[in-house]
Amino acid sequence: MKSWILVAACGALIWVCGCGSQSGDSAGGGLSIVVIPKGTTHEFWKSIHAGAVKAQQELEAAGQRVEIIWKGPLKEDDRDEQIKVVENFIARGVDGMVLAPLDDKALVRPVETAGNADIPVVIIDSGLESDQYASFVATDNYIGGRMGGEHLGRLLGGKGNVLMLRYAVGSASTTKRENGFLDELKENFPGIKVLSSDQYAGATRDLAYTASQNLLSRYGNEVNGVFCPNESVTVSMTKALRDIGKAGGKVKVIGFDTSVQSLRDLKSGDVQGLVVQNPVKMAYLGVMTLVDHLGGKPVAKRIDTGVALVTRDNMAQPDMQALLDPPLEKYLGSGN
Amino acid sequence: MKLAQFGSGDFLKAIRPFVGLFVVLLLFMMDAELRSVFFKGGNFKTILTQTVIVATGAMGMTMVIVSGGIDLSAGSVVALCSVVTARLIEQGHGLAAVLTLTVLIGGLVGLANGGIITAFRMMPFIVTLGMMGIARGISKWLANNQTVNPDEPLESVNRLMDNSQSPLTFFPLPDGVWLVLGLAVVMTVVLRATVFGRYVFAIGSNEDTARLCGIRVSSNKIAIYVLAGVFFGLAGVMQFSRLTQGDPSVAIGLELQIIAAVVIGGASLSGGAGSIPGSVIGAFMMACLANGSGIKDWPNYMQEIIIGVVIILAVGMDKVEPILQRFFRRRT
Repeated sequence: MKSWILVAACGALIWVCGCGSQSGDSAGGGLSIVVIPKGTTHEFWKSIHAGAVKAQQELEAAGQRVEIIWKGPLKEDDRDEQIKVVENFIARGVDGMVLAPLDDKALVRPVETAGNADIPVVIIDSGLESDQYASFVATDNYIGGRMGGEHLGRLLGGKGNVLMLRYAVGSASTTKRENGFLDELKENFPGIKVLSSDQYAGATRDLAYTASQNLLSRYGNEVNGVFCPNESVTVSMTKALRDIGKAGGKVKVIGFDTSVQSLRDLKSGDVQGLVVQNPVKMAYLGVMTLVDHLGGKPVAKRIDTGVALVTRDNMAQPDMQALLDPPLEKYLGSGN
Repeated sequence: MKLAQFGSGDFLKAIRPFVGLFVVLLLFMMDAELRSVFFKGGNFKTILTQTVIVATGAMGMTMVIVSGGIDLSAGSVVALCSVVTARLIEQGHGLAAVLTLTVLIGGLVGLANGGIITAFRMMPFIVTLGMMGIARGISKWLANNQTVNPDEPLESVNRLMDNSQSPLTFFPLPDGVWLVLGLAVVMTVVLRATVFGRYVFAIGSNEDTARLCGIRVSSNKIAIYVLAGVFFGLAGVMQFSRLTQGDPSVAIGLELQIIAAVVIGGASLSGGAGSIPGSVIGAFMMACLANGSGIKDWPNYMQEIIIGVVIILAVGMDKVEPILQRFFRRRT
């Protein structure tokens, strides 16, 4: 078998390179930090990217050289793909990692692997069932959910039927929002009936649109209010409501997070309120916390980055504008 | 004389995946940034671990494709079996029982595939396309539409794909890697040197001729799909070990990666050609490309484009080879 010669040649090649490269330790004084989102197409993650770049720019202005590597899973919302990204960066030997875990359990082992390779990890956005990380920088999603529930409850005057379309199985951040919403209604608005709260939308807008249509074809005639736990569900549910002529306030919609489309819907009155996080601040603090940790400073194990409720009336205020329209171009360039 | 031998189609086909891997490694070596990071022991362990699931599936798929069939249900069966593994661990079974029962479920799906294909003379593409949906649906049903996380983890299963303890050195390799290497050797022998293996090639080359030669095509075909299902079941156990949870939505599109690995490995979708080492190398090569693109900071879309190009190139070799052969023949 001549093929064995080639196998041997490949082996030899690996061997030679493996031996020759031990000394080749790069990094000229600067820190290399990888920021790993859950996906790259949602606008939320672009704000996260911008926040990381903002931190980098400020650190560089202060004389600290930092390289930010931005790398999401190849397939959006695929746990296995995100594990691969984490593993590949461990093998590559970055100085630190900022990770938004796709699953609170599946990513536990990769984060421990990073710990064993002396790579500290700061968790952002979604929780992880482990304590092997340096810090957890995120919105208090439960409070965000309660805020959405309170607003919807007041809009409906404490009575009526509501729907909640869950986001995706195993996503800790959205599950907390959903729980917060349900708890708020149960405790403070007992007159409101939840028609359905056990359906999942799925990872993409397309799936969320289908799930919304299915839900509305069943409950479309009796529903008075809807809670959507993330951006893709908000946009898709609003679209599905428009299709059946229930948009524009006939059915009150409270969404979560912002995108170009959901802000347009808020302005036109199809959406009555959006609970917004501060992704720029989240990533910014994530990177800053990691750099502090790498520099030997003590960091808090839990850092809250806050939520706000945006309505048609307050969306023009400057503090809301900064949240709604983060200057992405300033950090990411026009290409993004 | 020697040149004529080099030009023979069989030889070129057999070495194609190795040449491909060789070229990829050579290209990686020429790049200073990749050289310093890619060729490290820890990184190779990472790549090998990432290859395990696709390689396990590819071994089953190789037999199916060599026999002239296709199995599109592979990804769904992997998801189903990862959920089955989780449920079995929840019920407190040990390693042997979990492995056996999960693999059995995979084989059962294969039995359904093979049975329907032979009994009703249906296209494997259609039957397994249907099974893809059925198995995915059953796995979501079995998992109650969420991930299944056993309260008391079974260490021996979790360890199959665990490289968390020594991420920076090549050894020790996770158990799963050794298992795949061992199975690759066994399956190579089965496919090349046993009667069953030769039947697989005979059926794939020309089913009617095989039948006329006295080969019991139907029962052999069923056996092929069952065996493939067994491998997908094993890949499901590996998938569970990787996520440490049963995930009904995992491995979407995995069948396409597996088929790509088999095709890069020199198999022909019209049957009669293919090899186990080739398919395993194909899987390894795809993992190398993904890993290398990560190190180079290529954006994800570049990585997708590159892997797409590699698949077409690998199959395009089929068309280049006759030209090469003619060239060599003229020389001798």
